[in-house]
Amino acid sequence: MKKTKKSNSSMKKVGVYIFLIMMVLVFIGPMVFTLLSSLKGNVEIFDNPFGLPKEFLISNYITAWKEANMGTYFLNSILISGATVGILVFVSTMAAYVLARFKFRLNKFLGIFFLLGMMIPMHTILVPVAYIIGAFNLKNNIFALILLYVAFSLPFSIFVLTSFMKGINASLEEAAIIDGAGYFQIYSKVMLPLTVPAISTVSIFNFLGAWNNVLFPLLFINDNKLKPISLGLLNFNGERGSEYGPLMAAIIITVCVPFIIYLLFQEKVESGLAAGAIKG
Amino acid sequence: MRAIKTKKDGTKILLFLIPALLIYLLFMVIPMIGAIFFSTSEWNGIKGSPINFVGLKNYISVFQSSAFILSLKNMGRMVFFSVLFHTPIALLLAVAINAKFKGYRFFKAVFFVPTIFPLTAVGLLWYFIFMPNGSLNHLLTSIGLESVVTSWLINPSTAINTIIFVNIWAGIGYYMVILLAGLTTIPNEVYEAASIDGASSFKKFFHVTIPMLKPIISMCILMDIIGTIKVFDLIFVMTEGGPNGLTNLPTTLMYYEAFRYDNYGAGSAIGVIILLIALVLTLGSKWIMKKTEA
Repeated sequence: MKKTKKSNSSMKKVGVYIFLIMMVLVFIGPMVFTLLSSLKGNVEIFDNPFGLPKEFLISNYITAWKEANMGTYFLNSILISGATVGILVFVSTMAAYVLARFKFRLNKFLGIFFLLGMMIPMHTILVPVAYIIGAFNLKNNIFALILLYVAFSLPFSIFVLTSFMKGINASLEEAAIIDGAGYFQIYSKVMLPLTVPAISTVSIFNFLGAWNNVLFPLLFINDNKLKPISLGLLNFNGERGSEYGPLMAAIIITVCVPFIIYLLFQEKVESGLAAGAIKG
Repeated sequence: MRAIKTKKDGTKILLFLIPALLIYLLFMVIPMIGAIFFSTSEWNGIKGSPINFVGLKNYISVFQSSAFILSLKNMGRMVFFSVLFHTPIALLLAVAINAKFKGYRFFKAVFFVPTIFPLTAVGLLWYFIFMPNGSLNHLLTSIGLESVVTSWLINPSTAINTIIFVNIWAGIGYYMVILLAGLTTIPNEVYEAASIDGASSFKKFFHVTIPMLKPIISMCILMDIIGTIKVFDLIFVMTEGGPNGLTNLPTTLMYYEAFRYDNYGAGSAIGVIILLIALVLTLGSKWIMKKTEA
């Protein structure tokens, strides 16, 4: 009896492993194929798609980075995503502080007002935004693009930060008031440090969001010097789509930042996504 | 916490809200009102040219166009298959990984990482696998399945299904992580009690795991529906809506209508319809969830 139970459970384990390994092949196969191809020449990509490269063509990466401008796009994206997060954190923590800590007539209304923005798909407001961008001559203006990202990230960020701040014990702030601190001092010296866990979740989530977005830059950035990496990658494919090796290298360059962020902040990335899930 | 009584304090807290309010108003609220305005107007997109009010004309012509009806059908098909595959596969993976066997972190990362990649990169990556002389056809030929070889993204009978497959691939890890978080909330005692009652792991899965995860499973399905309605990048990168507009979704059609053919009114109308579909589905499924829970 005991024996059959044991072999039964090891059978089950084998079954689970077979299922997982099959899934892993479906998931990792395309990624490994891209990584391997990024080190091969055109002929080898087609003749030997799944084998190791005969010689590792690091030159594909140099071609992508320099000649195909992926380096410029990469740095643009670092700047755009970084500034988006910087402005967003500043603006949304200030709003969240007020919404979490002060009672006033419009408090509830404002909370819902910001929350409703989560429902709006980018496509719904594209034409009016294009009109505004055109009317104020903001085409090829990185700052306008950043503000657009901030606006779209505000609902989620204010929602997460407000609920986190509401859970913070108020005694530290009361102590600060007794010490004669003003609201800005309480916000910056007491509230911000205590909110760091939520701020990092919001930052990572929205950094990735800005890094991955292509729709807004597609419409509002056509200067090659200002394009972010998602759009630059499309550009590269459109202009020199037959240089497979460098193109695969460009894909790897594009995905490496989200990948590194995941490796560094695994838990934060996952909890950020789970928090994002609440918004539905 | 503290009640604000003096006017002085009121203006102080207003200062904290002003930056967020300004950005939000300028790039979200005003455009949202603008979207409704543009959807009832005709405009060719040229700065300074007149914007004429036409009432519901754009909506009527959008619903009369076969391209839009087809994009709705594609959307329905994509939503159907996403719901059919995303959550069930993600749930199986989550349960398997939750056993915390050796190396489970590696498996989790493999399934999860694609969900945080830019969809432009994911789309291109699969584009090179599915193109006529791509590696999938190479693989099929080498294992003797030449009869299956086709131009996956060009052949009208496979194009949309191929994109649906990539969309499913790119999203599974997301739902897996959410369901994993849900699994950790199920207390171990429930499983132990079930074991004592002699339940097999098969039974435990259907009689403990699924019922206890029901709220999270419904949430995943809801998010899946809303997320799939908004898919744009994959189509834009892999087929540009082709061949002959057969793989368009309302999102891509909206983009081409407004920014390629300069029909800003019709484009806005499609944009508003996308919002309405998302709203109706969100509110509708929340209502259903409440009904079934009560």
